[in-house]
Amino acid sequence: MNESVPLVRVENLSKDFGAIRALHDVSFQLEQGKILGLVGDNGAGKSTLLNILFGRLQPSSGKIYFEGEEMRFKDPSDAMKKGVAIAYQFLELVEIAPLWANFFMGREITRKIGPFNILDNKKMKSLTQQKLSQYGFQTNVDREVRELSGGERQTLAVSKAIETNPKLLLLDEPFTLLSIEDTENLVTLIREINEKTSVSVILVSHTLSLIKEVSDCILLLKGGERAFFEAADSVSIDKMIEVICSK
Amino acid sequence: MPELLTPVNFQNTVVQGTVIGILSIGMTFVMLIGEIDLSIVSLAAFAPLMGVLSIQILGFPVVAGLVLTVVVGAGVGLLNGLVIEKVRIPSLVQTLATWWILAGVILVVTEGATKGGFPPEWNWLGSAYIGPIRAVLIFFVVFVIIVWYFSKNTKTGLRLYITGGNENSARAAGIPTTRIRILAFVLSGLIAAVAGYTLSARLGAVSPRFGTEWLMPAIAAPVISGVSLTGGRGNIINVVAGAYIIQLIVQVIRMAGIGGYYSELTQGLLVFVAILIDTLRRRMMGIQE
Repeated sequence: MNESVPLVRVENLSKDFGAIRALHDVSFQLEQGKILGLVGDNGAGKSTLLNILFGRLQPSSGKIYFEGEEMRFKDPSDAMKKGVAIAYQFLELVEIAPLWANFFMGREITRKIGPFNILDNKKMKSLTQQKLSQYGFQTNVDREVRELSGGERQTLAVSKAIETNPKLLLLDEPFTLLSIEDTENLVTLIREINEKTSVSVILVSHTLSLIKEVSDCILLLKGGERAFFEAADSVSIDKMIEVICSK
Repeated sequence: MPELLTPVNFQNTVVQGTVIGILSIGMTFVMLIGEIDLSIVSLAAFAPLMGVLSIQILGFPVVAGLVLTVVVGAGVGLLNGLVIEKVRIPSLVQTLATWWILAGVILVVTEGATKGGFPPEWNWLGSAYIGPIRAVLIFFVVFVIIVWYFSKNTKTGLRLYITGGNENSARAAGIPTTRIRILAFVLSGLIAAVAGYTLSARLGAVSPRFGTEWLMPAIAAPVISGVSLTGGRGNIINVVAGAYIIQLIVQVIRMAGIGGYYSELTQGLLVFVAILIDTLRRRMMGIQE
């Protein structure tokens, strides 16, 4: 990929739900290997934007360029194939399924036995164990997700997303419900992943201090519109609060 | 009940349990995605009836009649699945309508009479012995092993559990959940047709009332064996064990001469207790609906 071409360029993106305009004329771009902090109050359009970028919603108008090419993801599967992964606000894990089944959800490993493709459960279990250990999470992978703590679930969700080798990682409220220690661990994890893999990240959070600390640039949405899009260094937390709270 | 333990009675009980066993396995697939299929009882009569008529009226070879039976079962399941997923009609309502429609068609076709006079090849599975063991039993064991293996060791099997456990998560992970949910109904229909065929092969006939008495056991067996009514949890081998517990209860009540009404009552109570346990277990585990 040409380094000068941004990984994602969004131009005049709008999304209407009937009479409600959830996004209006939003434009921004994200370079490869950079972290974009996406902030705004509830109902500002953050989740709508993420859902469009992941193919869960179709925009009403506007254009998305991915690696310089105009792209419209028809569904999450299409977005994943093109290198987009997501870890959602509500984790999107299957509570009553074991860790390994969650880790390989949608990308199960199979082996050929005659004409049949049979699940390689042993390999999936050992790889899950190995990969989670790399992220500092030692556990029995046969445990069900409902037995995990909030921090463990977030680590699973993020590591599961990163294991698809995405070019763009979308993190929707990853710090929700986390303890201070778990939050610190997750921030470290996001940084490590970003440095090691040069993946671009769009990080949605209400925790403005963390957004400012982790992000390279910040996009603030207000009422579905872009309030500002600036380098994180040049934006103060006070300014973000002022814009979010302004009438 | 010492007479239950004689070799002949024991084998008969095991053979009679195969119908509940097979129907329960079919029901399990739709329960795994948190749905229900009431149409299996009339489909268990309708599918073999179509197979038999294709042989008797259209002159199809027996093998073609058998294939048609299975295709009809899968086809009706596909229709149920498509309507439920695409038109968004609740499975309870859609499969109840299918049950009635098929029951009506069966009555029209048979004029309410039991249909018999099948070719011997059709009845072979129900009457033949392989050594000292009934062929239908061997068929049942092989069938259970194949279905269990499918549910535990194939991508589609795992995805049925994942989709039932949390459809949104499955979809977000790129799993084609609509296709998986439709497939659950196809499997349920196909397996109901297999159950209907084995029963028709054993009795050498298809009755318009065929299968009606099996609905409650087919729901009770998965529920008492731990298949979650909200989906995502269940084990085929446990379901077969559940089917035999139900069959045993039916058999014991019948042999004790208490009468069929108490059999229905006992099964109803079992389902109620199983649902209660399932609900309390989910609440205690903190599993959200």
